[in-house]
Amino acid sequence: MTYLIELLISGLSIGAIYGLIAMGFAVIYKSTGLVNFAQGEIAMIVAYVAWTIASHVSGNVFVVAGGAILFACVFGLAIERLVIRPMIGEPIFSTIMVTIGIAVVLRSCIVFLWDAVPHSLDLGVGREVLVLGEARVRSGQLGVIALLLVAIAGFYAFFRWSRFGVAMRAVASDDRTAMLMGVSAARVQAVAWAASCVIAGIAGVMFAIIHELSPTMFVLGLKAFPATILGGLDSVLGSALGGFIMGAVENLAGGYVSPGLKEVSGFIVIVVILMVRPFGLFGERRIERV
Amino acid sequence: MRSGYFKETIAQQIDLTDSAVVRIWLALLVAALIVVPFYLNPFYLSLLTIVAITAIGALGLNILTGWAGLISLGHVGFMVLGAYAYAISTSIWKLDPLVGLLLAGLVPAIASIIVGIPSLRLTGLYLAITTLAFAFIINHLILEFDGLTRGARGIFVTRPTLFGISFKSDTAFALLCVALAAITLVATLNLRRSRVGRALVAIRDNDIAARVMGVDLTIYKLNAFITSSFIIGISGALYGIFLSYVTVEGFPFLLSIEALAILIVGGIGTALGAVLGTIFIVLLPEVTSMLFSLLGDDAARMLSTGAHELKSMLYGVVIILFLRFQPHGLVGLWRDSKRMWVNWPLRF
Repeated sequence: MTYLIELLISGLSIGAIYGLIAMGFAVIYKSTGLVNFAQGEIAMIVAYVAWTIASHVSGNVFVVAGGAILFACVFGLAIERLVIRPMIGEPIFSTIMVTIGIAVVLRSCIVFLWDAVPHSLDLGVGREVLVLGEARVRSGQLGVIALLLVAIAGFYAFFRWSRFGVAMRAVASDDRTAMLMGVSAARVQAVAWAASCVIAGIAGVMFAIIHELSPTMFVLGLKAFPATILGGLDSVLGSALGGFIMGAVENLAGGYVSPGLKEVSGFIVIVVILMVRPFGLFGERRIERV
Repeated sequence: MRSGYFKETIAQQIDLTDSAVVRIWLALLVAALIVVPFYLNPFYLSLLTIVAITAIGALGLNILTGWAGLISLGHVGFMVLGAYAYAISTSIWKLDPLVGLLLAGLVPAIASIIVGIPSLRLTGLYLAITTLAFAFIINHLILEFDGLTRGARGIFVTRPTLFGISFKSDTAFALLCVALAAITLVATLNLRRSRVGRALVAIRDNDIAARVMGVDLTIYKLNAFITSSFIIGISGALYGIFLSYVTVEGFPFLLSIEALAILIVGGIGTALGAVLGTIFIVLLPEVTSMLFSLLGDDAARMLSTGAHELKSMLYGVVIILFLRFQPHGLVGLWRDSKRMWVNWPLRF
């Protein structure tokens, strides 16, 4: 029983990280109809920047967090402005390929700018072991679950009540009409990229705090795919919940069936979901079928 | 300006070439490809082999992604299946290499039906995601069924003897790969101008219109999947023979990206583009490292530690730059320069 609970809690905490990255996918997809294959790489870069700040400037949690968020924001805006915006009007295939190109470039940047050995990002928080009943968990694991819940609430409020959130939903549902009503689609796209990079960055930093920092961290992006497909690519909140489900499924499969299955369970889920319900649990958009 | 040049029959329209000059150049190229391997040093010979093997894979992917318009990130999955089918049948079951090569095509083709059927209702990025998932699942299955595949230990493969001819030497193996690449090129060119090829392009351009015109989408999409993965499987088997050791690590996911980069750089949807793109992409890291070694020891040392990273970074940059500035790829450049040559001094 304790084993099950420990598996579930660590599954939910890694699931929360997937959920954050999956939300990043969904934010970009919702406002631009594009899947950003570089999401995991962005999370990794932000985590490395946070580590650089922590080891060279100051180990203070707030300084590191602020610096990382600021960097993620600027980074997202820069990618959007330099690479994605010139691709407006090109076929979707080309734009997806561009994000794959970004992913590959960022992935190899790590080794050139930093190095290939794993580091630990120790900010003095999130590593204490708490005992809940019989299960032992780290405070960071609970922290990231709380963070995801805060992010869900924040995004819900943002899309529901803020002027910009409404503009984003308008562009998502019909960009031409939205533009006729005076919404700047380009600005919506820029904000979506910045927001999604910030969420991904938070996920990357949390992962680095709980586990470690290494050049293979981009796999987080691939692992978050199943979450966002499960929740529905166009549903931000659904993606977040999908993250929880995927994290739990993955950990249970790894704990009870075989460790190898842990790595691919997400991909098996993708294939099943796409066969049965291609628009995900909470998605709306119809997918063309033959 | 040239005018009065008309094609009057369907046969002329779908002819591969109607120009004597092109035929002469082609004959010269073929002769050169047969003679040159005997005089190359081992390094250039291995580059030639890699170019030929990669070209086979790229031509295969071109059928699926270039003509039928189905984006696949599962290229490496089909390659690894082909390589294992060959390795298991020849090294473990001791079957004839010809049977091994056939199996190397058939096994991925059967697997592609399994991937293809759920993919029929998906297009665009959903298909990219399913095929991506497929590539990872295949790797897992190979490691899991270690009774058959020897898991992470890998399988040693020797170079084959086909039709009584031994392909043990580097030169002979390079010639074999070049010959297979040439056969694949001719086969895909012929496929393109047949009913099947026209149907695939029609599906890519507008699937609803194609369906109205009597193209069965299910059959033709599966057809594209099967043909393409058959060819990719063969290229995977050859790559396995070239490495002389088949493991999951020998087929990194970067190969999928590389194949897509080849298609984009060459010009998507053309067989010539697949070949030109292969030459460009395979030689790009070599040329770059040569340039870097001119810069001095420090740069060379940095490269030797990050060779894999440099390669992937170059692929990424090249993909982005080509999509941004030359969406028609090298074939587009070639066409433009040809047109400029014909129409000079008028602007085209």
